[in-house]
Amino acid sequence: MARAESCFHCALPVPANCDIRVEIGGRQRPVCCPGCQAVATLIRDAGLENYYESRDTPDPGAVRPADEAGEWQVFDREDMLDAFATRDGDQVEATVYVGGMYCAACSWLIDAALRQLPGILGADINPVTHRLRVTWNSSATGLGRILATLADLGYKPQPLAPDSTERPERAEQRSALKRLLVASLGMMQVMMFAVALYSGEFQGIDGDMERFLRLVSFLVTTPVVFYSARPFFAGAIRGLRARRPGMDVPVSVAIGSAYVASVYATFTNGPAVWYDSVTMFVFFLTVARYLEMRARHRSIDRSAALASLLPNTATRLAADGRQQVPVAQLAAGDIALIRPGESFPADGSITTGRTSVDESMLTGESKPQPKAAGNAVMAGSVNIDGIVEMRVDVTGTDTTLGTIGRLSERARYTRPAFVLLADRVASYIVVAILAIAAVVAVSWYLVDPDRAFVVTLSVLVVTCPCALALATPTAFAAAGSRLADLHLLVTSGNAIETLSRATHVVFDKTGTLTRGMPEVVRTVTHDPGFTERECLQIAAALEVASTHPIARAFTRHESDIAATGLEVRVGAGVEGVIDGRHWQLGNAAFVTDARTRMPDDDGTHVFLGTDGRVVATFTVADTLREDAGETLAMLRRMGYETSLVSGDGEAPVARAAASLGIGDAHFGCTPDDKLDYIHALQERGDVVVMVGDGINDAPVLAGADASIAPSHAASLAQSSADILVLGDSLHPVVTLMLGARRTMRIVRQNLAWAIIYNLSAVPLAAAGFVPPWLAAIGMSTSSLVVVLNALRLSRIR
Amino acid sequence: MSILYLLIPLALLLLAGAVWAFFWAVGSGQFDDLDTPAVRVIMDDDERPPEDRTE
Repeated sequence: MARAESCFHCALPVPANCDIRVEIGGRQRPVCCPGCQAVATLIRDAGLENYYESRDTPDPGAVRPADEAGEWQVFDREDMLDAFATRDGDQVEATVYVGGMYCAACSWLIDAALRQLPGILGADINPVTHRLRVTWNSSATGLGRILATLADLGYKPQPLAPDSTERPERAEQRSALKRLLVASLGMMQVMMFAVALYSGEFQGIDGDMERFLRLVSFLVTTPVVFYSARPFFAGAIRGLRARRPGMDVPVSVAIGSAYVASVYATFTNGPAVWYDSVTMFVFFLTVARYLEMRARHRSIDRSAALASLLPNTATRLAADGRQQVPVAQLAAGDIALIRPGESFPADGSITTGRTSVDESMLTGESKPQPKAAGNAVMAGSVNIDGIVEMRVDVTGTDTTLGTIGRLSERARYTRPAFVLLADRVASYIVVAILAIAAVVAVSWYLVDPDRAFVVTLSVLVVTCPCALALATPTAFAAAGSRLADLHLLVTSGNAIETLSRATHVVFDKTGTLTRGMPEVVRTVTHDPGFTERECLQIAAALEVASTHPIARAFTRHESDIAATGLEVRVGAGVEGVIDGRHWQLGNAAFVTDARTRMPDDDGTHVFLGTDGRVVATFTVADTLREDAGETLAMLRRMGYETSLVSGDGEAPVARAAASLGIGDAHFGCTPDDKLDYIHALQERGDVVVMVGDGINDAPVLAGADASIAPSHAASLAQSSADILVLGDSLHPVVTLMLGARRTMRIVRQNLAWAIIYNLSAVPLAAAGFVPPWLAAIGMSTSSLVVVLNALRLSRIR
Repeated sequence: MSILYLLIPLALLLLAGAVWAFFWAVGSGQFDDLDTPAVRVIMDDDERPPEDRTE
């Protein structure tokens, strides 16, 4: 009966009673709702269907448009432009955070659609940071129109205030790229000259030509040392000043001394130059740093992440009527109006009306909370079904949401510090090499001054720690790109090493182990005239009218029944007429009669009634993900301890823990409690991996040694996590743990190889058996071995 | 071999030119987005006549 047809636009299953189709690419494509139909039609009519061919398959529902019509005109107002844009005459520029982007085709679509608007001067979208910088002519179009266009395409645009728009990442990326290019071009040129010099050493070379080639090498190497290698020198000086010398110190000493010695040899006609080693060393290190930087920049922008949980504007009720204002302009004491489906813009209390509020992202509580006048509400929680007015008490960073943001910032800062294994090893090795080279130089100078330089050069070249420098970054880069293919996005450089050492995996419940959305788990009929299936269909037809999260549990079921005269009763349920019969669906107070037996299972109970009697009882609960049990069992088999920390109540937590076999479960935790729990584990010596998705998980994600968040997680949680799991499954966690172990095995092999090679080559070179050209070949070969070994990681499954 | 005294400086000039061109390209933002261009080439937007643009 279930046709597995999914929406052409957003990939959600198409409800059976929905028969909307859009013609795209000459075929009728099914879509799941009028919103997706509108977006797909818009994309087609604008001639942009290529988007569908080039994009990755989206997470179901990820690109489903929100129903927020009519909100955008307000951004055309002058005071809005002052808040969100910078002006230069007619030319206006604004930065917009585009929520809901998920692949590179999205940025193409946005770019192409915006360019069809009149008056757009430039649109520059960054698919990594999801930021759009758009410039337009204010006489031809307005910010509201631009935002409406983005919203029509199904994205969730959010204009950002100008002060938060400057990101240092862009400048960092640009200068890193320039340094990399100078180093690589310089390295190639110098290598070319070095080949000439080495072969000259072998078969004789004209003295003038040798001096000329050295001079040219000097000219090319100088910018490589002073421009490309500058961050290493700066880092070394910083480290020495702070009395904590890092890897940069030996690196700088190696680069600096080899360069100075070469320059000296160039101008005094010394026996040898080292320019090739210098440039190659700088090049490999720059590549390593660049790869690491790219991974770091993939993490999500924190300021935008926090802001994206709040609405862009709020409706302020003033003496002179309603007014849409940017959220930043709300102040304590203001009265704001919040409609169903909107999120609360600030902390405060309800003054008029009643509703239920979804606080699951902030607290982990899985059931919607009923709220009436006098109850406190939190910024970022979602108003589900009633229109309410609230008095604003606290705004901005002082809200609960802002506090959680600060807490996660601090947790990340105080995360246990550790030095990468490779860095530790490499810095010792470099120091050892320099010491050995010095000893060799002095002893040869005493024995045979003529050969001292050549032999020292050979020692330095043969032991060039290129293979060492490459051992870790190439393995991490190969693992990172392979994991990305497996829908795991690594955003932190050292996450993989930490994961490989992990001993304890801690899970959040709501939304992580469970689906985070309610499902009908049990149906009991009290009237023999109706089957379970009929009851579900009637319920689905009634719930079409409701925006309550519980309603989604029903509307996912197929129904070919249509109800009329639907009415939503806030805090109670829905009623409507089907085939002339009046039905109610809702909570016990709304539907039940005296004879109803309350079911004894956990979860929310929903009753279906007609003519004053109850026909069916549904139990709605947040169910565990299908692969949760298997994933946890596998993790335990792999030797990890597993725990559960949740903000939810005792009963649902205990039930989840019992069915997953987790012995160590904690319920009712605040973000602080969770962080304390992790810290206690860390004191015990555990290396803790946290898996979570809520805003209330953000601090603990930041404080854990390594953290994993699913891609549907709150953006604040995503920005605190080291690894994002794309898609709707827990199993990738196992893949990730295995991948991390395997990556570190490769890293250790690489380091071992590099060390063994260096140890065995040094005595030969020191004894003068290795001419420089052979040393250079040896060095390149050992680097190649390391790179090829790292490439084996592209077969992780 | 003395031709090298001319050719190598010439090569260095070309190198300097290449570096300058690259710096200019980076500065003008061409390398800010390294992900989109990979898919941009396979998306031609010239297949449809412009009258479909209803805006």
